[in-house]
Amino acid sequence: MIRKELVAASAEPLILSLLSKGESYGYAIIQEVKTRSGGKLQWTDGMLYPVLHRMESRGLIKSHWGESKTGRKRKYYSLKKDGKTAMAKHHEQWSLVHSVLAGLQKEQFV
Amino acid sequence: MFDLEKAIADWRRQMLADGIKTPVPLEELESHLREDIERQMKSGSNEQKAFEVSIQRIGQPQAIKREFKKMERTFMKKIMIILFGIFGILFGPGIILPALAKHRDLGVWNTEIVMPMVWGSLILLAGLAAAAYGFKRRKA
Repeated sequence: MIRKELVAASAEPLILSLLSKGESYGYAIIQEVKTRSGGKLQWTDGMLYPVLHRMESRGLIKSHWGESKTGRKRKYYSLKKDGKTAMAKHHEQWSLVHSVLAGLQKEQFV
Repeated sequence: MFDLEKAIADWRRQMLADGIKTPVPLEELESHLREDIERQMKSGSNEQKAFEVSIQRIGQPQAIKREFKKMERTFMKKIMIILFGIFGILFGPGIILPALAKHRDLGVWNTEIVMPMVWGSLILLAGLAAAAYGFKRRKA
């Protein structure tokens, strides 16, 4: 069970990274995160939307209403320029933390 | 006989009663709900079970509302800082300039002139600081 704080901290970088591959909508984002994490990252469906709206109000992503192939209304989100910048910053910071942790881990087996 | 449309309508009424606003995010949540139900039914679940699982997955309206409220509060704080900044930048000079005019007319520096200038300067500085802070944190 992944710690709540880690799930919360990783939400924004994950969403930005997913949207950098192309526009998507809430349901698909949750499914992809679940799939990619082997089911270990299970975001409460209803909690994703406040995060998306916060990111939208900060100008990182934008949205528009569209329709699925079956005619279902869906809100699609896509990355904005500020979102790309924020994503790069997240990657930098996560890589830094990861490299320090990985380095320490290696030393433990010496 | 389970009526999906009625169940969703009841769920919507409950969400609205609990303070979830429409159209955003209620329309989005409903779209999500319907998609999840459809997916479950494709995997063989019956309508009623799919509905019950989906509303569980969406989560409690109070928790959702809390998260949205947190976002609103941050937004309100930003608005207040900007308003304070504008107030300071307008009001400060509004006190300083008449005092300067008085000095120009009287040719002296006295308490009546200096005090408003001090206060006006403090208010202007506070306004500028708030504006700078608000501008710096605008993307936060």
